[in-house]
Amino acid sequence: MRGLLLKIYMETRWPVLLFGAGLSIIMAILTWVLPNLLTDLTALESMPLIKPVITALLGIDPDSQFSSQMTQAFLWVHPSVLATMWGHAVMYCTRTPAGEIDRGTVDFLLGLPVSRWKLHIAESIGGLISGVLVFGTGLIGHFIIADRFAEEMRPSITSIVMIFCNMLSMYIAVATMTMLVSSLSDHRNRAIGVVFAILLLSFLLNFLAQFWKPARPWGRLSILEYYRPANIIQSGVFPWTNVGILLLIGIVCWTTAGIVLKRRSICTV
Amino acid sequence: MSLIETHNLTKSYGGRRGISDIDLSVEPGEVFGFLGPNGAGKSTTIRVLLGFLRQSQGTARIFGHDCWKEGTAVRREVGYVAGDVRLYPWLTLRRALRFVGQVRNTDLHHSGLELAERFRLEPDLPVRKMSRGNRQKVALVLALAHRPRLVILDEPTSGLDPLMQDALMDCLREMAADGRTVFFSSHTLSEVEAICRRVSIIRDGRIVACEELQTLRSRAPRLVTLTFDSEETASNAAWPTFVRPQRRDGVRCILHMDGPAADLMAWAATQPICDIDVSPPNLEVVFRRFYNEAATSASTEGT
Repeated sequence: MRGLLLKIYMETRWPVLLFGAGLSIIMAILTWVLPNLLTDLTALESMPLIKPVITALLGIDPDSQFSSQMTQAFLWVHPSVLATMWGHAVMYCTRTPAGEIDRGTVDFLLGLPVSRWKLHIAESIGGLISGVLVFGTGLIGHFIIADRFAEEMRPSITSIVMIFCNMLSMYIAVATMTMLVSSLSDHRNRAIGVVFAILLLSFLLNFLAQFWKPARPWGRLSILEYYRPANIIQSGVFPWTNVGILLLIGIVCWTTAGIVLKRRSICTV
Repeated sequence: MSLIETHNLTKSYGGRRGISDIDLSVEPGEVFGFLGPNGAGKSTTIRVLLGFLRQSQGTARIFGHDCWKEGTAVRREVGYVAGDVRLYPWLTLRRALRFVGQVRNTDLHHSGLELAERFRLEPDLPVRKMSRGNRQKVALVLALAHRPRLVILDEPTSGLDPLMQDALMDCLREMAADGRTVFFSSHTLSEVEAICRRVSIIRDGRIVACEELQTLRSRAPRLVTLTFDSEETASNAAWPTFVRPQRRDGVRCILHMDGPAADLMAWAATQPICDIDVSPPNLEVVFRRFYNEAATSASTEGT
């Protein structure tokens, strides 16, 4: 296991560092910009389609109890933050086996005396650690800037920890779904394309559910339905149900990916 | 008990042909040749043996372990070099020895660096800067460094210069002398001839022959060049049954001869022949015959 983790470390350290630095910069900029941008929410709401977009992103109606702290909720649902998080999950989790098959290194990897389950577990540990590192670095960027605002302007540490947990559970769901697609694929580009299509569909479904009544019941299929930072800031309650659903998705996808990886014939194409 | 044993081993890829009914038996300490043209099914057989591919039918066992179900146990004592070696671009030999050593739970630095010196390999050069031959050497060092009981080599000399090919052959001979087993896959007869005692020939996914090289050699025709005193006698020569004329070049006739040279000498004494040249048994002809027979039977089955 140590050897596999060492290989993962050597292979992913630079991308993880770049994703972390990128997320840190994005979160620092958004933390700085968003409160200024959203001071006059009523003006924004008067613009067509803006209110449903905000509602779709935050998962709550901005008319109801929208505090100054709530402006920080935008930070956690901003498309660039979500894209960086999903991008890291997709890039990391398509390396094995799809990427290995694609570049022809899978023969070398599978020639080593490691079971495919062990390989799956090592990749998962690496994915989890790298995810925590990327978000952790992102959080540092947020804290550096948020420190400049008055206390009533920023959410409590407890809220941020709860959002972090919700975000991490969403990352786990996306990452394990990517692992499943990767374990079924021989081509990394194809696996990336499929996962991005699913995520885009999920994103659009979340918006469509706000605009179009018949799509509302289908909104539950969107992964963003279970990631609601604004609700956490508003209620101060840990989102057990959402985290539970996301982790359940993660467990199902992870187990299925492991079984597929164990059972399928793999070699260089 | 055989070290490698397969029975009716079959792997099909849907409509695409893989291998069918492969029966192999490799004894401990043997250097076994696995010959066949490109696309014959050599790599597929090896990948089933290593547990990368699951067989459609039949059984494959190494050290008594099932190759698919107990692949990890099999690979623990096997060194493997793929046909087309591809490694991670960031890898250097030194890093690879560290990473593979940790996976194998043994320190490979000493033996690995010794082999690197033997193969004239720079241990700190990253793979992305390496030539194909050097990548091949890295794979060979990693396959041999843990001193495995069995080495499976899939066309290992491709990309190696002649000197390095000799170094590899010496290495394999030493391993065999040490009681280790070598499964050597190649499409080049001369390589297999240089090192193996027994060979299997695979064609179109099927084993068409599995014999000792000595037996094959005894069946191989010799190439005979006869020089007659004139073109006329050369063109009018009446050939005995144990020779097969191949071509004539003026006064020189090139023949394939089966059987002992004494019969040829007795016949030649009665002919107006100036010179005779008899070469050693030519295995190449036997292999070409196997390939052609298989190809002919396949085309007959097709019609």
